[in-house]
Amino acid sequence: MTRSVLPLAAVLFILLVIVTGFAAQSGMHLQDGMYRIGVDRADTASIFAGDPRFDVVVTDYQTLSANRNSFDLIIINGRAYNLWNDRSRAATSTLRQDYSRYVTIVYAEQEDLYAAYPLWIDVQDVKSELSFSATQSGQYISAKPDENPPVPEGAVEEVAIPEPTSAVSQEDLRASLQKSATENTQVSRYAGILGQKSSAAATATTIRTPSQLSPPLPFDTIILIFVFIFPMYFTSQFCMMSVMNERIERRGEILLSMPVPKTAIIAGKILPYFLGMLAIAGVLTLWMQADPVILLPLIPVILFFLASALFIGMISRSFKELSFVSIFFSTIATSYLFFPSIFANVHVIALISPLTLIVLTLQGTGFTAMDFVYSTALFWLTSAVIFWVCIRNFTEERLFSEHGFLTRIREFIASAIPEKMPWLGLFLLGALMIPFVFMVQMMLLVLFFNLPMPYSLVLLIGAAAFVEELAKSLGIYALFVRSPGWLTWRNLVLGAALTALGFLVAEKLLLLVTLAQIAESVFGSILFTSLQVLWMPFLLHVVGVLIVGACLKAWGRRGFVPGLVLATAVHCLYNLVLILGWLQ
Amino acid sequence: MNARHVGLIMKKELRGLGHEKTILLAILLQLFVAMFSSFLMVGLTSMYDPAAMSQYSGYRYGIGYAGNNESGLAAYFENSRDFTLHRMDLSTAVQALRERKLAAVVYVPDTAPDAEEPVVVTLYTLQNDLQSAIVEVRLKDAFTRYETDLRKVRSERLTEEPLPMSIPGSRTGGGTNFYEFVYGLLIPLLVFMPAFISAALVIDLITEEYQHDTLETLVSAPVAFTDIVWGKILACELLVPLQAALWLGLLMLNRIAIANVPLILLHVTLASAILTLLGALTALHYRERTAAQFIFSTALVVVVLFILAVPSNPLNLIARLAIGSDAPENWLVLALVGALLVLVIIATGKYAERVRDRIHGS
Repeated sequence: MTRSVLPLAAVLFILLVIVTGFAAQSGMHLQDGMYRIGVDRADTASIFAGDPRFDVVVTDYQTLSANRNSFDLIIINGRAYNLWNDRSRAATSTLRQDYSRYVTIVYAEQEDLYAAYPLWIDVQDVKSELSFSATQSGQYISAKPDENPPVPEGAVEEVAIPEPTSAVSQEDLRASLQKSATENTQVSRYAGILGQKSSAAATATTIRTPSQLSPPLPFDTIILIFVFIFPMYFTSQFCMMSVMNERIERRGEILLSMPVPKTAIIAGKILPYFLGMLAIAGVLTLWMQADPVILLPLIPVILFFLASALFIGMISRSFKELSFVSIFFSTIATSYLFFPSIFANVHVIALISPLTLIVLTLQGTGFTAMDFVYSTALFWLTSAVIFWVCIRNFTEERLFSEHGFLTRIREFIASAIPEKMPWLGLFLLGALMIPFVFMVQMMLLVLFFNLPMPYSLVLLIGAAAFVEELAKSLGIYALFVRSPGWLTWRNLVLGAALTALGFLVAEKLLLLVTLAQIAESVFGSILFTSLQVLWMPFLLHVVGVLIVGACLKAWGRRGFVPGLVLATAVHCLYNLVLILGWLQ
Repeated sequence: MNARHVGLIMKKELRGLGHEKTILLAILLQLFVAMFSSFLMVGLTSMYDPAAMSQYSGYRYGIGYAGNNESGLAAYFENSRDFTLHRMDLSTAVQALRERKLAAVVYVPDTAPDAEEPVVVTLYTLQNDLQSAIVEVRLKDAFTRYETDLRKVRSERLTEEPLPMSIPGSRTGGGTNFYEFVYGLLIPLLVFMPAFISAALVIDLITEEYQHDTLETLVSAPVAFTDIVWGKILACELLVPLQAALWLGLLMLNRIAIANVPLILLHVTLASAILTLLGALTALHYRERTAAQFIFSTALVVVVLFILAVPSNPLNLIARLAIGSDAPENWLVLALVGALLVLVIIATGKYAERVRDRIHGS
């Protein structure tokens, strides 16, 4: 970026401040005038005059009933009449909310507050964690209601009988009522999440009236995404652009010709962005007055973003491609981080996202070293592998080639397999693929988890098998395209065996280290074939690669996709037999 | 300006996009979002309004009840179709809740209905949990009824009553915010997303020529520089109504009725043309992608924020058109946007000519 940007950037910043002020004053006019209501009395109309969503018409009773259908709602003599359509129903609900806000304002003025608000509810949160294997569908977590009261399995902790009176004074309650009636509940809910530590005084009143009882928000984490992940996303954009610019302006050539190791060049390129992202996250942590421990789970995420930025910057041919690929990548990465963390507190599966650790820390629960390994291991490993691939490919030939997107990815993989030692290369490639496979499968698990039971299982079986077969056959495919003559039957069998071996070894290692809990559930048995018997999955992996390899030999490169489909089918069949046999 | 040349450049750029297959990623992304939109709908809606969740479940929840046995509250729970009430010891009930064998636990003190002090009920629920969000909505209903009863008992102590009003409708408040969320937020934003993408795309297309040093080659061809710029702008602009229509189609597949589709597309096309032209101007000025994208995205935030703060802005009009309410001022706004567009077109034309002269001069 040049310095010529600065003056305009400064002007834009000043404009931003002005516009923010203007917007704060004028409000957001997105839902203005959605509903049209007719009212017969001016004092009733004044209740709803403050809500821009309503277009209020005050007129007499005859006109209202004559033009019944041109209003979403009419209010005659303190009685609201709606129409039989969605818009009118929505208008009715909005009207009800506005009316209850008005009622609150009137009642909060009462001298005897406890006559206007005789019932108060003291909400106490109870923490519960469910083990993943306890539920198989994820649909309804709570137990089936029974006629008899349930008997807890664990030891019963003594719970103190609550005091019959409230510890909060009448005037404090009145103030909180008046506040809740005037503020915008949607905005305040989100603001409350960020200010958790600082607004401790405000949350001291856990007691509420029934109408204030808004359900707890299970989606706190989206705020964290916006706060922590967006700056990262932007910074990694700049990193991508800088890599891309060097390739386009061919400045990279000069760098490459210098007597500096490639590792040093890349480290030097990445380091400022890494420090910058860490600094931003640090400032945000300070601003939120949160425990600095939340920076720990962010480090592997930052590395993952940067590794991917480097990779994307190295493979895109044009800016258009860069834009699209980076949007695509960031959506996928954000969903991977976001979806599981919704289930923080509910499910161990939430821990596959490092953001869950942040949520837990903000809630004051904290996390153990084991949790940290569990949820960040995949990020560390994938980042390391991507960096390694990028370093190996940081050559003139790769950087300035004009090949297509998929071709370049294939070239990158092929170059990861040294020509002199293809066997070791295939073994390592098989092993290195595992973290990616796990990541994709985790993503699939989280996405399919929301579907009803038979569908989620069937989809997961198919998709998981496909992902594994694709990952395994990439090495053979890349080698085949590089030199088709290499793929003799002997080499194919040997290559398949070594890929499968690498795959299996890495799979079991990673499983042992991290994912034992998920692996024991019914979903786990599809994703990661069982830990006990080793020769069966090994054979399965070998057969998968052999099928794809044979199709490649028979039909050339066109045989790749049919081969994959065939291998996936075999894999699914194996899984079905295994799981059906196990379920019966 | 030569229309044939503009058309040629436009086709070249569109073919380039198709050839690079990266546009496929954009469409894939759109499908990815749409495919999981059922989850997104549930997720985003409940983010916007957890009360809406309650419509997704028809289920009897087990509730633990401890304390005052004569309270009127117990009757409401027992008669409800949503709950099964278990009278239990408080400590046992809370432990059962912790093990998820109950959905919530309620403790009611012995305070008399007509007492001076309030009745303070203690409610134990699971923290930050989807399920307890649903349960709490149902509980709220019973609590509100009991509050009304108590208020009646104590009514002599009140000095002023609010204007009475009877409002028809559903038991729970769910649904309304879903409606407002879909029409008043999701549709305007999704429909304008292609406009933002196209503006970013035109910057890529123009700066690419500068940074690849391919501009000299293009300029020496018998195509005028301004034709090249217009071709690129048109290529990006053409994608907007197509993508916006695709979004609306996907939403309709999700059974969300949308009225006035052609008019909405007209609004989007005109407004996005201004954005695309502004993107082109930024790109022509900076000639370098990083700088142009940075300035443009910052400016975009300012512009969008400003537009949202103005009443009857195009986004608001799209929301109102989509729900089928008549928005007579939309023609006036359309005319204003059109006039602004003409001004920006003239400005872009002039600026492109200046840039051309500079290239030929050097």
